[in-house]
Amino acid sequence: MGGTDECKTMLDALNKVTACYRHLVIALGSTSDSQNLREELKKTRKKAQELAVANRNKLTELLKDKSTSKDDRAEYERLWVLFTSSMEILEVDMKRSLEIGQEFPLKVPTRHLIQTGMTGSTTTVAARAMSVQNMKYDADSNIDTADLKELQAEISQVGQMMEEMEMKVQVAPWAVEAKQEAGAELKSTLSVGNSSVGVISICEEEPKDEIDEGGDNNGMITCIAGFIFVAIVVIAGILGYFVIGG
Amino acid sequence: MTIRNVRDHGQRFRPRMACLKKVEAVMLEMQDPKTGVKSQPQKLVITTIPHAITGEDVVTWLANRYTIEAEEAWALGTMLVAFGYIYPLQDHKRLVIKPDTALYRFQTPYFWPAQQWPVEDTDYAIYLAKRNIRKKGVLEMHEQEQYNGLHKWMNHKWDFIVMQAKEQYRAGKERKKPDRAVFDCQERAYWVVHRPPPGTVSAMDYGLERMVDPNAEEKETSDFFRRIMIFTQQSIMRPRVKSSVSIGALVKYSITCNKHDPFLAPCLPSNPWVTDDVTYWLLNMANVDIPTKMRVERWTFSFGELLSDPRGRDDFRLFLKKEFSGENLAFWEACEDLKWGTAATMNEKAQQVYKTFLARGAPRWINIDGKTMEVTVKGLKHPHRYVLDAAQTHIFMLMKKDSYGRYLKSPVFKDTQKRAIGPDQHRFSVSQLEANARKRRPSISPIIVRQQEKEERARMATSGPVDITQVMSKLSNKGKEVPPPKK
Repeated sequence: MGGTDECKTMLDALNKVTACYRHLVIALGSTSDSQNLREELKKTRKKAQELAVANRNKLTELLKDKSTSKDDRAEYERLWVLFTSSMEILEVDMKRSLEIGQEFPLKVPTRHLIQTGMTGSTTTVAARAMSVQNMKYDADSNIDTADLKELQAEISQVGQMMEEMEMKVQVAPWAVEAKQEAGAELKSTLSVGNSSVGVISICEEEPKDEIDEGGDNNGMITCIAGFIFVAIVVIAGILGYFVIGG
Repeated sequence: MTIRNVRDHGQRFRPRMACLKKVEAVMLEMQDPKTGVKSQPQKLVITTIPHAITGEDVVTWLANRYTIEAEEAWALGTMLVAFGYIYPLQDHKRLVIKPDTALYRFQTPYFWPAQQWPVEDTDYAIYLAKRNIRKKGVLEMHEQEQYNGLHKWMNHKWDFIVMQAKEQYRAGKERKKPDRAVFDCQERAYWVVHRPPPGTVSAMDYGLERMVDPNAEEKETSDFFRRIMIFTQQSIMRPRVKSSVSIGALVKYSITCNKHDPFLAPCLPSNPWVTDDVTYWLLNMANVDIPTKMRVERWTFSFGELLSDPRGRDDFRLFLKKEFSGENLAFWEACEDLKWGTAATMNEKAQQVYKTFLARGAPRWINIDGKTMEVTVKGLKHPHRYVLDAAQTHIFMLMKKDSYGRYLKSPVFKDTQKRAIGPDQHRFSVSQLEANARKRRPSISPIIVRQQEKEERARMATSGPVDITQVMSKLSNKGKEVPPPKK
């Protein structure tokens, strides 16, 4: 069973990196595009590939083992479907980032980025993908063109890997039964109930649409409030103890 | 996992979307800070978000840039919105451009409708799951239906979809609040374009997928030039008609059929594709007893129209029955049956036709000239699908020149005309339209319709004599006490 737990953590990591990569690719070509974004994309991609290779090795090892029980095998097949779906999304996003990267080179003054309204940086998203606190940027200034050739090579690598996987591993993906039922995402561990002080209603006919859950700059205020509350309870407890004890 | 046997590599191209590359060029021009569209910040309760553009700015820019009229610029702007390159900030479900101070914003290139990237259902499922999280389980009705449907047929991927939705949601929260709001709007606009709510018209309808990119430059090999040469030679050899004649015919056709075109005139009672109300189809079914006024009017346009409409043909058959000259129409129908029928039954059908209509002393003998009869009988020795074509054309012209005129003046037709109904235009409110969309049901299976037609034909075959020959033979045989010839 240690095998499945290890697999699951690796798959979670791959899943996280895939999601972050998608967010980064969405920012390509818009006004939040920049040198840093291109570097973030490159680093996230490399991390994703490392995770992919690690996952693939682990899973093929588990699936090749003929002596696993039926339940175990079903579980491994489910993990395999998770892995391949992640890889599909990664592959498509990589191809699209190549296309958009080619269309929007950064150094050409006559090509303008699309004014989408997004102006912030994507550092925090990339930091989440790389599991670091802060991102360090150390790339050359022509990363937007130099990176594209590498990207093409990586895309063909990923394509080959997926073909190989399909040939070598005999798993029928449609036979896998999901463990989550419809609406499972609502039972997440996210703090979905806290409405915060700041409400942005960007689109005027759905004013309740953008109620933010646990926004970053309000986290501080809630922390301080919680701390004060706890302190008061502790003091009340101590006084009560003295009253009763004394 | 999708079946990857067809190596896609973005090669499934959608023909009608070849204009997208040109639209992208327009979009890039609009971004120029000096010559592009002027943007303004959008002021919200707490923050301001930059890069909002007004509808009238877009329309004026287009009109100036391409020196076109304001109306055309308006249509072009609506196309940009309908394709999803610009999305409205208010009234996000109506993808039109309003040439006033309504606000719009440019869509990020990832969400542009690109020709070679088909929109995946996996992504839609992830989006719906994210929306479920944000709206705490309260989705719109069509979204809920789609969600349930996707959960059923994508069940094997559902774990992945839930995991990815949660991760994307968490990753999205890492960005600053104004950017988060913009991203939510962008994603929602993308899915309004590609999974439109029911009752809206989508600009994303395209035909069959192709394996060739219509935007790719073709290499100029000798084969390419050879094809051009063949094409031009064939164009020279084509028979030509004076343009005054052909244009005159087009104009006459347009004038006659103007009110009958559902694009140009309102369809009575209402267009089912727009209002989801099928009264129009029910009133115009093939075996309906009382046709609509418009349908009857179409029968007067030409004989071909009358024959191609099954209800019209029924009416004509009734008229011919009263005149005891039904054999012409029966022969015509038999020829059609032979042309369109299965190859296995062809020989049998051809023999049947000969025995019934063409042979000397046949029960339903048709009157065609000697030369055509000779050609047809000779052809029937080796029957094929089009062996009766000459005879059919002759009979068609006969009916057209003779019976058609009399039919239009006959009491049968006038009675049908009088009884025809002219339904009123439906006026649905928005809530009624939604109710209609919910009540959509599939129509009767075509298998049942075909069975009904067969029964109908069998019934007609056993009804009384319809031809003059049959009546005469009946009358003449009455005295001789011989049973009338069996049909």
